[in-house]
Amino acid sequence: MARKVRVVMAKLGLDIHWRGVYLVSQFLKDAGMEVVYLGNQFPEQIVEAALEEDADIVGLSSLSGNHMTLGPKVVRLLKEKGLDKVKVYMGGVMAPDDAAALEKEHGIHKVFLPDTPMEKIVNHMYASVGIPRPQPQAG
Amino acid sequence: MGLADDRRGIMSAPKDSLFNESSINQIETDQAAWLDTALSEADRAAEGSFFTHSGIPVKLLFTPADVKDMSHARDLGFPGQAPFVRGVYPNMYRGRLFTVRQLAGLGAPEDCNLRIKYLLDHGATGVNILFDLPTIRGYNSDDPESEGNVGACGAAVDSIWDIDAYFRDIDLGKVSTSIVTHLPSTSIVIPGMYFAVAEQRGTPWTQVAGTCQNDFIMETCVGSAPEILPPAASFRLQCDVVEWICKNIPRWNPISYNGYNLREAGTDAVQEVAIAISNAIATAEELMRRGMSIDDFAPRMSFFWDLHNDFFEEIAKCRASRKVWYQLMKERFGAKNKKSMLMRFHVQTAGVTLPATEPYNNIARSALQGLAAVLGGCQSLHIDSYDEAYSAPTEEAALISLRTQQIIQAETGIVNTVDPLAGSYYVEYLTDQMAQRILASIRKIEDMGGLVKAVESGWLHREISAYNYRYQRSIEAGETKVVGVNYQPAEKGACCSIDVFKYPETFTRQKAKLERLRGERNPKKVKECLAVLRDKCHSDENLYPYTIAAVKHLATLGEIEDVFREEFGRWAFPLY
Repeated sequence: MARKVRVVMAKLGLDIHWRGVYLVSQFLKDAGMEVVYLGNQFPEQIVEAALEEDADIVGLSSLSGNHMTLGPKVVRLLKEKGLDKVKVYMGGVMAPDDAAALEKEHGIHKVFLPDTPMEKIVNHMYASVGIPRPQPQAG
Repeated sequence: MGLADDRRGIMSAPKDSLFNESSINQIETDQAAWLDTALSEADRAAEGSFFTHSGIPVKLLFTPADVKDMSHARDLGFPGQAPFVRGVYPNMYRGRLFTVRQLAGLGAPEDCNLRIKYLLDHGATGVNILFDLPTIRGYNSDDPESEGNVGACGAAVDSIWDIDAYFRDIDLGKVSTSIVTHLPSTSIVIPGMYFAVAEQRGTPWTQVAGTCQNDFIMETCVGSAPEILPPAASFRLQCDVVEWICKNIPRWNPISYNGYNLREAGTDAVQEVAIAISNAIATAEELMRRGMSIDDFAPRMSFFWDLHNDFFEEIAKCRASRKVWYQLMKERFGAKNKKSMLMRFHVQTAGVTLPATEPYNNIARSALQGLAAVLGGCQSLHIDSYDEAYSAPTEEAALISLRTQQIIQAETGIVNTVDPLAGSYYVEYLTDQMAQRILASIRKIEDMGGLVKAVESGWLHREISAYNYRYQRSIEAGETKVVGVNYQPAEKGACCSIDVFKYPETFTRQKAKLERLRGERNPKKVKECLAVLRDKCHSDENLYPYTIAAVKHLATLGEIEDVFREEFGRWAFPLY
C-alpha cells in the first residue's frame, strides 16, 4: 500500500477567513491524506512545521491581500532549509494576474482561485506528489 | 402550521382569527381533491422533498389552511407597533428611505480622508470607516505580524494621530460615523481615539454620533487569528464598551450584533439570528448585573444581517427576528421604553454567494438579495460589488452597487407601501416557522449555560465547520446550484477579464509616522497609563476611561492590545 500524502495547511498571517482553508483540509483528509492544519501562522512557523511533519505539500490560504508578500516568503524559507521538494499550493481571493505571477515567478506550485471543485484540488495534489489516490472504502 | 401538521385540529383558533373554521374546512377538502385530480403522480411523489436553505419544509402550494391560526393582533399588528413584524416605524420608507451605506476603506488614513470628503461633498451624511487586518486584530503597522497586510482591505490606524488624519477638516459634530471595529478589544480603543479627537477639537461628546461593531463572537469565532483573547475576557470588554458609551456618548450605538460575518463564516439563517440575539441576552444580563436597567441600553443595540440567496426565507428571517426581539424585551426583560423593543438592523448582501466565475452575474445576485432586504424592512443596506471574489471593489464596481440601491429605492415602487408581502400564505408560514426555530435555537444555547459557555466549549466552532462541510458537499454533489459554476457551467475561458483594485502603498508612511510619534510623546506618561490599564484588567472596573487616557498620551493601538493579550492570556480555537 502506498504511503499517505502529508500536507501542512495554514492560514497566512493575520488573515481571518478560515472557512475555505478548514474545508479544504477536511476534504483532503476525506481523500486519504494526512493533514495538519496549523490555523493562522507566519512563514517561519509554517516552514518549521513542514520540516517537523516531513510534509510533501504546504497549502496556504490568503483572502486579505498578503498573498504576494507572505506566499513567496514561505517558498524562500523552504529553499533555505533545503526543503526544495515541498510543493507549495495557495488558495484564496486574489487577482488572476497575481495568481499567474505567483506560479511563474515566485515558485508557487499551483494557485487555486475561488469556485475550484474539491476533486480538482485532491487530484492535482496526488498527481504532483506521484502517489496514487487510494480507492474509497466501500460502505 | 407546517407540513406534517400535527397541530391541525388540536389548536383552537384565536378569537381574532382571520379565517372562519368552515371556510378552512372547505379549503382543506378542496385542496385534497385538487391534489388527487389535478396533479400528476410525479408531482405528488415530489412533495416532501423541498426545503428552504435552513431546512424548513416547502410545499407545492400554500393556502389559508397553512396560516389558519394566525392572529392579526398577536402575529402581525401594525408597523411601529407590537410585535413589529411589519416594521419598526409606522410609515417605514415613506418616512425615511433605508440608508445607503456603502463601505470604503483603504491605505493610510490620509487616503481615506480624501475619499470621505468626496462622499460628503456628494451628499453623504454618514461615513463608514474600515480597517486593515493588523488594525482589526490590534497590531501596529510596524509589528512583524503585520507584514503584507498594512493598508489592505481597509485603513491602518496605529494611534490617535491616525484618527485625527482620517477626519482632518471634517466636523465631528456633523457626521455620523460607523467605526467598523469588529472586536471588543479594539472597540475599547479606536472609538476612544475618535472621542478624544472630538474633545481636543472642542466638539462636545453630546454631539458625537455613530456606531461601532463590538462583538465578542467576531473576536472568538468568526475570524481566526494567531491567538485571540479568551471568550470571557472579550465578552467583558464588549460589556465595558456598551456600559461606558451608554453613559458618556448619548448619540452613539455601542454595539452591532454581527449576524452577518457569522453567517459568512458558516451558519444557516436560523442560527445567524439566534446567536446574535443570544449575545444580546448575555449582554443585557451582564449590564443589569452591573446595575443598569434594560431601557438604559437596549434602545441603542442594533443588529446586522446577511441576506443570502433563499429569497422568501430571508424576508421571513427579517420579519421573524423583529418579533422574537420584541417578545424577549417585553416579556423576559420587562422593557418599558418602546425603543428597547424595536429591532433595527443593517443588511449587507451575501459576499459568500458571489463566485469568481462570470463575475458580472453577481450584479444580478446582489440585486435580488438587496430587494429581499428592503422587502424585509431593513434600516440600512450595503450591496456587495460584483468583484467580491477578486478584491475590494473598484470604483466602477462600487458605483454599480450604489446604483442598484437607488434603482430599488426610486424605480421599483416597493418602498411606497409598508411590508408588501404580509398576508402571503407562504411568507407568513415561513415567518412563523423562523420565529419558532430561532426561539428553539436560543433555548438550546441557554441550556448550555449561555453563549459565552457555548463558545468556550467549542460548540459554535463545531457547528460552523459542520455546516460548511455539509454545504460544500451539497455544492460538490450539485444539490446546491451555483449558476456558471456547477449548474450550466461557464465554458472554459468564459471568465471576463476584470479590473482589480490596487491598494496604495501604506507601510512606509505608517512606519515613519510611528517613529515620529515615539520621538514626540512622553514615554514616562505612556508607561504610566499602560501600567494603570494593566492593573485595572484584574479589577471589576470599566476599562474605557483607562484606554482613553492612554490614547490621549499617544499610546499606540498595538501597545494597548499587548496589555490585553498579556493580562487576559491568549486562547486558541477549540477546533484543531
